Amino acid sequence: MACPVFSQELYVNTEPASNMATNSLGIRVEDQGYFTPTYKNRETLELMYGASRHLMVHGSVYVSDYYENQQHFEGGSVYMKYRFLSVDSVQKHFRGAFFTKLSSIDNPVVNQEITLEGDNSGLQSGFVFTQLLHKLALSGTISYLHAWDNAGGFNLPVANAKNAVAYTLSSGYLLLPKAYKDYSQVNVNVYAELLGKTNPGYGQSYLDAAPAVQLIFNSLIRVDFSYRIPLYNSMIRNTDHMYLVRLEYNLFNL
Amino acid sequence: MKTLKIFMVLLVLTTGIAKAQFTKAELQVSGLTCALCAKATEKSLRTLPFIGDIKPDLMRNIFVITFKNDQPVNFDEISKKVQDAGFFVNSLKATFNFDNVKVANNYFSYGGDTFRVMNGADKPLSGQVAVTIVDKGFAPRSVSKKYLSQVADAAPVKPGRVYHVAI
Repeated sequence: MACPVFSQELYVNTEPASNMATNSLGIRVEDQGYFTPTYKNRETLELMYGASRHLMVHGSVYVSDYYENQQHFEGGSVYMKYRFLSVDSVQKHFRGAFFTKLSSIDNPVVNQEITLEGDNSGLQSGFVFTQLLHKLALSGTISYLHAWDNAGGFNLPVANAKNAVAYTLSSGYLLLPKAYKDYSQVNVNVYAELLGKTNPGYGQSYLDAAPAVQLIFNSLIRVDFSYRIPLYNSMIRNTDHMYLVRLEYNLFNL
Repeated sequence: MKTLKIFMVLLVLTTGIAKAQFTKAELQVSGLTCALCAKATEKSLRTLPFIGDIKPDLMRNIFVITFKNDQPVNFDEISKKVQDAGFFVNSLKATFNFDNVKVANNYFSYGGDTFRVMNGADKPLSGQVAVTIVDKGFAPRSVSKKYLSQVADAAPVKPGRVYHVAI
């Protein structure tokens, strides 16, 4: 007989292979930042839409003071994810999806890490596979990033890598409620994620452990907290020791 | 006399149609694992005009659906809504009121569609009986395969969508 599900795949730092419901909209407001050498932070507004049972799209805009002394608009990105594999049973499933992301950013390039979340203009494509078992939701992604010169005449320095490989491994667990009876019960989910990137041929790479806590209110509002702790690092980047706070609101049946 | 016979048949048929109805269903969804997912699925199902109420059993991933008695139930629409939400129907057990419904050669009709009872053995059916739809999109693939492989014989042409059900 079926048992309550404890695994959770609403990852904080990565996307699962599953998509949002068709015609539903997720609105995210996010703050990320770091405290040393000085406090800097970035706000992201992200809209996520379930276009069909297979396809979802995201659009994001970024504002930060990472590269200037005051907050300024940096550009945006679009993301799409296509679910091509679903092997489902009542309390477990295995899913696969292809994703791609395109960004246009007008910041100077001072870091070695290529990120499409406000730092680089570029393209990212890859695969994500998510396996949900009774107690554990495991998800892995592998993707390729290519950076172009940034908008606004900010060229990629000659010595910088133009290409990178990103890989992540995430797991999630439902801590509360123990007995799941009602949509109004607050869900508390905990996640452990590994986030890594390598610039092939440049000897630059990192791997972060990113623990995260998530609260879900009324099955509609999601609040995420995460902090990235480098396990090893040989790349100049902003994401080192970065915190993340996110608020997400969901609208169904648009 | 012939006219009277036709009239009698029509009378029986129409009263049968009037009373024949699906009253409720137990819908189990597979792959449903988060609060947001369950709520999104339920909200999507609620947009169907023939659904009166839904009571979720979140421990077992089951939605207990009560149908309106004045609207024909379309099961394909239920499966579509669940799949659009990103999930699959693991089982759909619907309760049908067989009073005044003629089951001939394991077939009965409802709302313009035909239902074939796969394991009926022509036993008489009456009152509220739960039937499980075994077509593709309503059951795990292995279950659908098991039942639908029996349909290999030249099934007579029936009106509407032909659903296959197990009792």
